[in-house]
Order: sequence, then C-alpha cells, then structure tokens
Amino acid sequence: MTAPQSLVTVLRPRRLLAGSVTLTVLRLIVVYVLALLLQLTFFSEVRVAGVAPELPALVAILAGLFAGPRHGSMVAFWAGLMWDVYLSTPLGLAAAAFAVVAYALGGVTEDLFHDTRIQTVVLVFAGTAAMVTAYALLGEVVGQRGLVDDRLPRVVLVASALNAVLSLVVAPAMRWAVGSRPARSRARRREPPDAPGRGR
Amino acid sequence: MAVAQRSGRSRYRLLLLILTAATLLTLDFRGFGPLETAQSRVRDVLEPVVSAVDVALGPVAEVWTVMFSYNDLRSENARLRDEVDRLGSADIRSAAQQDAFDRLLATTGVTYVEGVERLTATVLRDSVGNFDDDVMSIDVGRRHGVAPGMAVVTSAGFVGRVETVDAVSSTVTTVSDPALVIGVRLLDTGDVGLGHGMVGDPTKFEVDAGLRWPETGDLSELPTIGSPVVTAAGSRYPADIPVGRVASVEPAEAGLAQLVTVELAADTQDLGYVTVLLQTPEDEAPVGPDSPFSQESP
Repeated sequence: MTAPQSLVTVLRPRRLLAGSVTLTVLRLIVVYVLALLLQLTFFSEVRVAGVAPELPALVAILAGLFAGPRHGSMVAFWAGLMWDVYLSTPLGLAAAAFAVVAYALGGVTEDLFHDTRIQTVVLVFAGTAAMVTAYALLGEVVGQRGLVDDRLPRVVLVASALNAVLSLVVAPAMRWAVGSRPARSRARRREPPDAPGRGR
Repeated sequence: MAVAQRSGRSRYRLLLLILTAATLLTLDFRGFGPLETAQSRVRDVLEPVVSAVDVALGPVAEVWTVMFSYNDLRSENARLRDEVDRLGSADIRSAAQQDAFDRLLATTGVTYVEGVERLTATVLRDSVGNFDDDVMSIDVGRRHGVAPGMAVVTSAGFVGRVETVDAVSSTVTTVSDPALVIGVRLLDTGDVGLGHGMVGDPTKFEVDAGLRWPETGDLSELPTIGSPVVTAAGSRYPADIPVGRVASVEPAEAGLAQLVTVELAADTQDLGYVTVLLQTPEDEAPVGPDSPFSQESP
C-alpha cells in the first residue's frame, strides 16, 4: 500500500465518522428544541394537579438510556444547561443533576438487552423522579429556597408519571436522534450465528 | 481491560461535566456579566419561535384548561351571574373584551407613585418549570428601557421586581417569592422592617426582621390589624407602594421581635397586565449600618 493510499484509508472512515456525529448532533438539537418549545409554551398552561411534565429531563433520560453513560451524560448536560437558561435557579443546576442521573441510568441499563416499552416507561418514571429530586436537593444545597417542601413529593410523582406516558412518543424520536435501535435487535445484530460479536 | 478503560474515561468525562456545572454555578452566583449576556442572547434568539409556537398551541391549551376547569368555571359563572343580576348591568361587550379591558384599567390606573415613568406590560406566561411558581414573563425588555431590579406593580400594589431582562421580554419575581426581601414601612407605627413571601401561601407576606417587640410590654404600640404596609423609603423600590395590610402580629425571637403577617394587596396569580416603574433601582440590598433596616435579611 502506498503512502497516499494509506492516508486515504485512514482519513475516509474518520470523515464518515465526523459526518455521522454531526448528523446525530443535528438530530438531537431538533428533538431537544421541539421538546423545549413544547415545555415553554403548551406545558406552561397544560398541567395536571398544577404540575407540568419535565420534557428536558425526559430527553436527558432517554439520551442516557439509548446513548449510554458516556454520550448520554454529555447530551443530558447540554439539555439541562439549555433548560437552566429559562429557569430562575442558577445556571448549571439542572445541567449537573441531569448529567449525573443520565450517567447512572445509562450505566445501570447498559447491558439490558430485552428492552421493551414497559421497561422504558418504568425507567423514565424512575429517572424523572431521580432527576427532579436531585435538582431540588442540589438547589437547596446551593441556597435556593422553596425547592424542598411538602409540595415536592407531588411534583416528583406527577412529573414522573407524565414523563412516563410521554416517553411513548418521545422515545422513538430519541432513538432516531441518537441512531439507536431497540436493544433486542442490537443483540441480534451483535451475535450473528456465524460471526464474532462486535459488542457495544 | 478495554471495558475498564472505557468506564474510567466515561467517569472522567462525568467529573469534567460536574466541574463545569460547578464553575457555571459559581459564576452565576457572582453575577458574571458575560454569562448573563449569553443567557439573554439565547432567550432573545428563541423568543420569536417561542411566541409563534405559543400562538399556534394557545387554542389547544385553552381547550385543556376549559375541560379540566369546567367545575371552577361553572361556579365562577354562577357567581358572576349573581353579581350581574345584582348590579343590573346592561353590558353589551363580550365577557372576554370586558375582562381584558378591566384588567388593563386596573393595572394602568396606578395613582400612588408620583414622578416615576411607567410602562404597561402584558404578562406573556407564568412559570415554565415546576419550581418557578413565583416567576412570570412580561413583553417588555431592554429596548423599552426596562432594567433588572425595577418595581412591577398593579393598581392594587406591589407585584414584584424585574429579575432578568432580554431585548423584548423580561422575567419578574413576584412578591410571593420567599427569597425576595423587601424593605417595608408599617404606616400605623412608622416602623420599618424587612419582609418576604411565605412558603406555600402566595397571598401572604411576613415581616420578620427589624421590628422590635415593645420593651414596655404595651401592646398598643403594636400595629393594628388591617393597617396598611407600604414600601419604605430607602428600600430598593420607590417609597409608599402598597404592599398589603397587617393580618397578624406575633412575638418572635423569644419575645424580642415582632413577626408581622401581611395580607398582600396585589394578586400575583393569573395577572393579565402589569405596570413597570421605570426608576433605576438601588444597587445594594437595603441592609447595613447606614440603612433604616437594622438587621440582616433572613
């Protein structure tokens, strides 16, 4: 192999990879901005028992579930940071809470290969509860008042339930955005009968 | 081996993210200018899109509100019918127009502040998150001369202060926020103190700093129930804006201080219009040795 040929062999996959990453980022931005717009407009009025769903948190959780802890926590951080811009709490609060919970969820569920809709719904419920609680606790730690009070359990339960229901719609969009397939098909692809598995 | 390396890298990345968040938190607490400007620019860029989506989805949200507020609306309707019958009104305008007109009149008819330029604003939306009950957005901003810290009022009284200002919109922290400390004067006694909203009750305000319990034990020196409370001269806001009326007075700090509960004059929920007082606010909080407010804010 000549030097130019080897250079092309090295550079072409890198260029393809860079293109794929750009496309994924663009798709994530589209999904996230749509979620943010819905949260800022529709769900500022449409509430259940005075509580709105937490769509930015939902995107962060699904990123953790579908993209894994490494990339999921990064997506969750940016999702939280953008949400912080609109909240009255200090910048970085939601970003930190989202990143930590998305990382933990991504790590816990990394090796699950029988993911079903029910499983996604349950994980979104648990993840939202963890994110909202972490956000409120962290806020109190840094001196924000009124985040942890007797209203918190209601906010956690209702927001988690709403997010769990909405995950049925948002999960396919996030799968498309991160380019992930359901884990069952990933598992089939990973372990073909005649070929060695690639792993994740 | 590879799995352990990958796990180590992702933990390292998480640590970096947390450190970044902590840095941003610190800078935000210190009021780092470029950070606030960046946030403002992001909101400015998205605001036209947010407004357009708001207009598009507004009717759907209204349907939801009507569906789930049916009982409330029915009882409200019955009450209004009684009132209309009692007054014998022959109003020919539609209820919606009347409501909007009344709300506009109610907020622009501010009579208690002299010599301060005013700006009427429409409330765009209430809180967007689940922990922002004491925040609302209004449709005036930097281009209209609004600055952070300006007082926001209705004809009933003090509503809140401008918190963040973007090009054509602003957010307002309402007086019901427990973290918003306001210097007030009790008209009955002339005493000045510091107060803030009460957790869990957006209609109440408590003055818990700066008011001493009468040393002589003479209870006639306490403010009478129902007496007015206004913003104090020397507070961050123009003086004599109505805040509310005294609802109760109790001893606090082992009987050395007064804890005065105030029924807020202005309704901070579901407002349609507000008035911004375009007076440049004081930079410092109303506490310190030279301040009329002798104690630290809570």
